[in-house]
Amino acid sequence: MTNINKYNESFITSLQVTGEQLTSLTYQSVEGWDSVGHMNLIAVLEEVFDIMMETDDIIDLSSYEKGKEILTTNYDIEF
Amino acid sequence: MDKLLANKNVVLTGCLRGIGKTTMEVFARNGANIFACAQYQDIDFENTIQKLSAENGIWIKPIYFDLSDIESIKTGMRMIISEKVQIDGLVNIAGMVYNGLFQMTSIEKMKEVFEIDFFSQMLITQYISKIMMKYKSGSIVNIASIAGIDGNPGQVAYSAAKAALIGSTKTISIELGQYGIRVNALAPGVILTDMTRALPEDKFNNLIKKAEIPRAGEPEEVAKVLLYLISDLSSYITGQIIRVDGGIG
Repeated sequence: MTNINKYNESFITSLQVTGEQLTSLTYQSVEGWDSVGHMNLIAVLEEVFDIMMETDDIIDLSSYEKGKEILTTNYDIEF
Repeated sequence: MDKLLANKNVVLTGCLRGIGKTTMEVFARNGANIFACAQYQDIDFENTIQKLSAENGIWIKPIYFDLSDIESIKTGMRMIISEKVQIDGLVNIAGMVYNGLFQMTSIEKMKEVFEIDFFSQMLITQYISKIMMKYKSGSIVNIASIAGIDGNPGQVAYSAAKAALIGSTKTISIELGQYGIRVNALAPGVILTDMTRALPEDKFNNLIKKAEIPRAGEPEEVAKVLLYLISDLSSYITGQIIRVDGGIG
């Protein structure tokens, strides 16, 4: 599975959203992405990419697009 | 008696002396592998670690950082994370005491005390609890103080920081319970350490007089309660503040 597929699947499974919703997805824009959903998402991302995210990055991950930027810049994950 | 922490990996802060050093010794005797956090490198400390490791068939890894320096703490935590091992226990022991009446304690000094006695504990707990969340298991104990519960004249900054630690212990225990992580605090009374030896003699004696058991506690008497709280013996205890004070108050 490619990194972008892993990334998308993490959002879909942990936030209970569809693939069509992903690109415009922001924190608290859907019911599933509340604070609890956010921590579930972080746990899944850490698991699938084998990383441990810093608290600052967890707070900054405010959208689907921002998440890609954080993973690329701070964790060397290529999309 | 079985070793209560056999095969468990534990992070302890403040291992150079006092309650931290004694806890490291008690945990080592009970089979724990230990990330022993300390403020600075010290030859006696490293000799103690080597001796404890050899005697108990465990590993102890020193991790050095300064609680007043956030970047230094982060570096220390990243070293622990890079080991990629499960962490079963965290005891936040390191801290500072500051004595000063309310009207004689500057806001700058209060911030300094909070930095060391509260914010650094929060940062360490954020890092270590992330590892515990991954494994859905763990026990965290914060060393608070009876001053954080009862107040203590001349310790406004210290007691307020410890009260903050107590409040956060309760909230974090609620948030992390779903991940199988227990979070408790231990509130020592007068324990014979360098910190309490720094108290004025009359204050020290007055505090001891208030206890039902009229003496100061030994660090080992605190360490044994920590052993209980980190071990599986306390598997259904969370969000609690345990006084170890000989019955003060």
